[in-house]
Amino acid sequence: MKSRREFSPQTLSVLATLCEQPSRWQHGYALASQTGLKSGTLYPILIRLADRGLVEACWQEEPQPGRPRRHLYRLTADGLASATGALAASAQQQPAGRSAAAAGARQPGGRGVAAPAVR
Amino acid sequence: MSWLSRAGARLLPAGRRDWAEAVWAEAREVPPGWPRLAWRAGGVRLIVREAQMMRRIGTLLLFAAAAGAAAWGAWPKSPVSLSHGAANQGDVIITIALLAGLPLLARWFLGPPDNRAARWLRAGFYAAILAIMPAKAVAELFVGAVPRGGIDRHTFDFVTQGNPLPGSVSGGPDWGGEILILFITACYLAVILALTARRTPVAPATLAISARAGLVLGLVMYAVAPLGLGKSATNPWLRGWPIDTLVALAWVLLFSAPFVAGALAGKRCYVPDDRDEASVARAWQGCAAGLVSNGVGALTVTVLGTGTTALMLKSAWIRGWLYHGQHLTASALYGRELYATQIVAFYAVICVVFPIIGLLAGLAGSECANMTGPLTDGGGPPGAPGPEPVPDPPDGGRLADAEADQDRLLGRYDGEDAEAPPGLVGAGLGWQAQGWAWRWHSSSDLSRRIVYSLG
Repeated sequence: MKSRREFSPQTLSVLATLCEQPSRWQHGYALASQTGLKSGTLYPILIRLADRGLVEACWQEEPQPGRPRRHLYRLTADGLASATGALAASAQQQPAGRSAAAAGARQPGGRGVAAPAVR
Repeated sequence: MSWLSRAGARLLPAGRRDWAEAVWAEAREVPPGWPRLAWRAGGVRLIVREAQMMRRIGTLLLFAAAAGAAAWGAWPKSPVSLSHGAANQGDVIITIALLAGLPLLARWFLGPPDNRAARWLRAGFYAAILAIMPAKAVAELFVGAVPRGGIDRHTFDFVTQGNPLPGSVSGGPDWGGEILILFITACYLAVILALTARRTPVAPATLAISARAGLVLGLVMYAVAPLGLGKSATNPWLRGWPIDTLVALAWVLLFSAPFVAGALAGKRCYVPDDRDEASVARAWQGCAAGLVSNGVGALTVTVLGTGTTALMLKSAWIRGWLYHGQHLTASALYGRELYATQIVAFYAVICVVFPIIGLLAGLAGSECANMTGPLTDGGGPPGAPGPEPVPDPPDGGRLADAEADQDRLLGRYDGEDAEAPPGLVGAGLGWQAQGWAWRWHSSSDLSRRIVYSLG
């Protein structure tokens, strides 16, 4: 029996981004920019992670004048533990060079996610 | 755009609307132009995906296609009279309206179906009602066409015993019959939609068990009538068969299928600890099981029987199959066809009587489940407690093999005061010491019970 849930490369990239500053609330556009994911891919991932209790979400309390409130996200304690484990396992499975490439791919404007699938 | 986002979010379940609004709110932060448009397109994709719109659209298209085909088949093309045409048209229009409108009402008051058994049952009922429409129209058209003379007219008069036959030219349109059939259709739809809705506490296992029991009942009934019991109509297909045994089996199944379904549903459902509440919960499952069981049985025999009759009237191949090896004259064939179409009206009686019997027998079955023994959990409504999670093995521990380690494991419980053999941490093989006897209380499998022992 597998003790750890499987994550897709896209989910791993979202977890990695959230892991960088686990206590900080982040909004969707920033996450999309850092992971290179489109909104139609990013938000379903966030929904699944929130359903599993790995990510918590809330609405911004004090929106900027003339702007709608924004939805914010961060990892829960369980999410941090799962993300750390999943990212460590992913790093072990891929060569060091590809890990570096994967990290580079998560820069703003990056298109793809080079992390291999964890199956 | 904001109204569009709100309208889109309304398509989503309540727990998902925040997410759609989040995508739309975030769009303000995205640079204008193509990036913002792409962001919003992603929001639309999210709504489509989370609202399961592809499935909804697919279901809608499938229903529209099936309803259109059924209406085309049932629509009176050359009615025996103008009033007959009006009766048939009204029948088709009201049936389609019921099929389309009642689910919306049921969804509003009781919620949508939330499990596979409920969805399949609904789909089956819809398919059955749509299939009955054209078959009934064919049979009615045949009955309505009174022969002008000759031996066929003599046969017709003999079958109708000289009385004007409702539904025929001489008898006028059978308004009473049409209204009765529409009423039965509406009742069936309402009951099945209610029983398969989310807010109705009918367990998926209850639906699955009773639907299977009903299918068996319906198939046996179909073998009896019209294939067997109507001897002058189609019995030759079963020449040499022990038809009396089949009839006896059908009678037994009529009462035993809902009884057994009710008992099984009552046993399998999750019930509260309180005795009275548990009794009510089981009775509820039993009634539902009985209704569904005999409702499915009645509808199965109606669909198959009416369909066979309609095909017999339309297809020479079916006539050859039904009257295999017989050389019937045209007038004899007409007599059998007329007799078979007369039986079609009898299915309305079946559709009324069967569910009543099922309701009572299912209730009796649930009472039986109430009186007999402990109940197993599983198959209950949403929220029922599931099996306990399998614990992780301790450090250095290993998974005991249910067969290889059986002696050691059984030795652990060699008596109430017996001590565990060294190294054995725990066991739950399903064997328990009760005095001198072993009681096997989980016959399903050994391997499901996980036992860890220190190496």
